[in-house]
Amino acid sequence: MQTGRIHAATVALIVSVLGSGCASTAPKSADPTDSLEGMNRSFYSFNDSLDKNFFEPIARGYVKVAPTPVRGSVTKFFENVNYLNIITNDLLQGKGGQFASDTGRFLVNSTMGIGGLFDPATSLGMPEHDEDTGQTLGTWGANEGTYLVLPLMGPSSVRDLPDAATSMLLNPLTYLNAIVTLPLGVLNAINTRANLLEASSIRDQAALDPYTFVREAYRQQREYKIYDGNPPGDGFEDYVEGDADAAILKIY
Amino acid sequence: MCFISVLTLALALFATQPVPAAEADSRATVEKLHAVLIETMQQSGVLGYKGRVEKLAPVLQELFEFEAIARLVTGRYWTTLNSAKRSEFIEVFKRLSAATYAENFDGFGGEHFETRAVEDKKNAQLVKTALVKTDGKEVSLNYLLVKSGEMWRIVNVVAEGVSDLSLKRAEYTAVIGSSGIDALIAKLNAKVASYAATPAT
Repeated sequence: MQTGRIHAATVALIVSVLGSGCASTAPKSADPTDSLEGMNRSFYSFNDSLDKNFFEPIARGYVKVAPTPVRGSVTKFFENVNYLNIITNDLLQGKGGQFASDTGRFLVNSTMGIGGLFDPATSLGMPEHDEDTGQTLGTWGANEGTYLVLPLMGPSSVRDLPDAATSMLLNPLTYLNAIVTLPLGVLNAINTRANLLEASSIRDQAALDPYTFVREAYRQQREYKIYDGNPPGDGFEDYVEGDADAAILKIY
Repeated sequence: MCFISVLTLALALFATQPVPAAEADSRATVEKLHAVLIETMQQSGVLGYKGRVEKLAPVLQELFEFEAIARLVTGRYWTTLNSAKRSEFIEVFKRLSAATYAENFDGFGGEHFETRAVEDKKNAQLVKTALVKTDGKEVSLNYLLVKSGEMWRIVNVVAEGVSDLSLKRAEYTAVIGSSGIDALIAKLNAKVASYAATPAT
């Protein structure tokens, strides 16, 4: 699996270098934190092409053959095996109560929930949380750093990169034989893509420039998660950038 | 008898006492939008795409502050546009908004909206709501409103932390910067046409 990833990454790199000439025709970002926009756009195009021709059709087929409860259980299983990463980051963010609740959740769902296929923990008062190392670094005051689009993995940032390592190291499946992890990895990829079909359909319909659309949506959602759904600001003043915006504040 | 009359009068007066006006109004604007969206979803099949656009367009016109939105999504370029171009942009933007809502609110699965809080912001109010699905899963929807004439109107919708205004501003200013306002207007017109050509139902 690792070899496959590395190989794909090499191919993506070659494509990105070859395709870099095309990037200059795309709308330029005024955003200084997207300093690698040319390379990012190339990886975005590579991912998008692979997705449109390969992953999306497979995900649509999977949705047709796998009933909703089955897909729900598959999703819960992979969420549960990722839970040690969440628990660790609860602790690193000093969220004691959430750490206790999430530890209980992992234990209950791994046992009573038959390896995480079911979620009895939520009805027992241990709701799901969403933490990762990127969020932890954010709560510690780290800036996003340069925006990145990774081959196969999609949008990320310098701050979010370490999570790729922690989520792999803290995932019990990493330590199983490849005969088990390879098919599970494929299933996870297809199931994850299937869960994103609605979101990607909205992106395809709404975006004028899908690259910019995804970048902005990714950044905002990361900010939202770092602040646990209550980011500072949210007010009209957030949109004051120049004279034209300032004029609006005087009107209203 | 007299006591009952006084009591009735007192109750009637109490009932008509306005709750804090600003909160009631911004909440009322959002809840009116939600009520119309639920109706549109419930009547989705009967209305069809065109019917949904016709039902939603006047409501959006009433509840959204399109001029402020247009200024914000075009960012620093707004001041460079003459009044004819501004009007042309606002018109296509209104049509795009109606088309987008008509496209996405195309079926009813028992979901409902809940208003959770109203917060005062500088020159604005934030109405926090959630779209609650039948399986209990929620989509957070926060609305930013400004006082416009006699009512509070919506300038931004933030879904699960993703601000519509910020997304559009990033995209629109990139297009205006590289290709100009006419290219942006053409792209938005094409978007409206694509919704109409391949509606979900």
